[in-house]
Amino acid sequence: MNELSQLFNTVNIGLVVIDSDLKVRYWNRWMEFYSGISSERIIGVPLFKFFPSLNTPKFLRCCKSVLAFGNFSFFSQKLHHYLFPFRADSSFVSHFEFMQQSCSMGPLRDDATNITSLYLTVQDVTELAVYEHRLLEMNMRDGLTGIYNRRFLEKRLVEEFERHVRYSRNFSVIMFDIDFFKKVNDTYGHQCGDYILKSVSSKIASMIRKTDILARYGGEEFCCLLPETDLASAQILAERFRKSIAEIIHVYQENEVTETISLGVSELSKQYPTPSSLLERADGALYQAKGSGRNQVVALP
Amino acid sequence: MESEICQVTDEEKDILQEIMNIAFGKAAADLAEAINIFVVLSVPNIQLLKGAELPDYLRDELRDFTDISIVEQNFRGKFRGSAFLVFPAGAGKELISLLDTGHEMVFESGSIDILEKETLLEVGNLLIGACVGKMAELLGDLVTYSPPKVVIENHPHEIIPNNLFNSEYTAIVMKTLFSFDERDVSGFLFLVTTHDSVVWLQNSLARFLQQYE
Repeated sequence: MNELSQLFNTVNIGLVVIDSDLKVRYWNRWMEFYSGISSERIIGVPLFKFFPSLNTPKFLRCCKSVLAFGNFSFFSQKLHHYLFPFRADSSFVSHFEFMQQSCSMGPLRDDATNITSLYLTVQDVTELAVYEHRLLEMNMRDGLTGIYNRRFLEKRLVEEFERHVRYSRNFSVIMFDIDFFKKVNDTYGHQCGDYILKSVSSKIASMIRKTDILARYGGEEFCCLLPETDLASAQILAERFRKSIAEIIHVYQENEVTETISLGVSELSKQYPTPSSLLERADGALYQAKGSGRNQVVALP
Repeated sequence: MESEICQVTDEEKDILQEIMNIAFGKAAADLAEAINIFVVLSVPNIQLLKGAELPDYLRDELRDFTDISIVEQNFRGKFRGSAFLVFPAGAGKELISLLDTGHEMVFESGSIDILEKETLLEVGNLLIGACVGKMAELLGDLVTYSPPKVVIENHPHEIIPNNLFNSEYTAIVMKTLFSFDERDVSGFLFLVTTHDSVVWLQNSLARFLQQYE
């Protein structure tokens, strides 16, 4: 075996050559290993026969631009995730079912520089993608409670607000906070306070739909965005939140602590031209709930 | 070292312009024929600049745009340099429909941004690849490319040319205006050649002319 063909089979990257009919001409050992398909089986066979998922408009467009005018094409992991559905072989597989790949494609020519075939390179970038995913998660979650953070909430509020205005749909917001929370911290210590923040947020998180967005707004204040929900339904839900939190007996280091929450509800309408004005309205309702004795829901249209 | 200031004659500039014209015409035809993308490219404008003058030149050229996105891609061959494709802000959104991605549109936070960026990259890659590839081909060269990068995204411009461009050396800057049929998107394509390809380019121009003599 000459050096170049050794290299072809030993590099830690997938290499494939396909001809202008998209039949496989070369398939290196890396590809054999991850696909479980030997080069004997696949050479001479149309690539789509083994990988029908590659038969997409984008892939075909790239093949055409390579074969017709010698262009080079790049498939980034960000949009495509992968071209070839291979199982990832590292222990990082929790978030990704398949190996994340960064791929490229380019022309191969004969001595007269006519394009005869195209090559594909496949690089495993799963590990990088996992790190990126973790960083993104950290950027949108509250470290203590694990629910969304304020930054993420504000971003989603703007998006949901605009979407609901555009399609004239119902959209409601609940703001709530834990009553006399400072007293918990002062009496039982901040660790107990943290414990209660966690347990309140996980209780509420278990009561909402997948499309609702629950976030820690600050300190002991929370916010819940409710897409496709009118004020009356939001008020019923808020009342359910209130009751279920009041029923919990938090046990922390043999102390039994009960907590209540106050809630303000508002709904998108023409009165509120901006996302922040809608949030202010819910905050105003929360303020009223506090003022009239706490442990209650106030909804303001 | 042929590092002295290259003298590029007016005649050579004219030939280069003509070659670009032919190349871009062919590029547009290829894009239309192979993948149904219809792009119109204007007659190119050619300037000789020192590397040090590049940032000011580009800033000046782009002063009418407020926010822009730039896709950068380097090409390597005997013909060597960088291509910059300048789009007005928001062009990515406008161009998404140009490419049939075969993807379901998902309205997950951030996914539209990614799709927009990837669209700019793909359109950039196609346009740059077709234009540069055709020029190189006419001049008897084959080039390869770095992956395209979005270097500026919906931002006011502050263009810093990469270290390909020595501030002392001459670069040939080729500018063309492009627009897509039936899409309200137009922008600029700049090709900036490195100093070492200027000499090669001059020789190739001479060779190109010989065909017609």
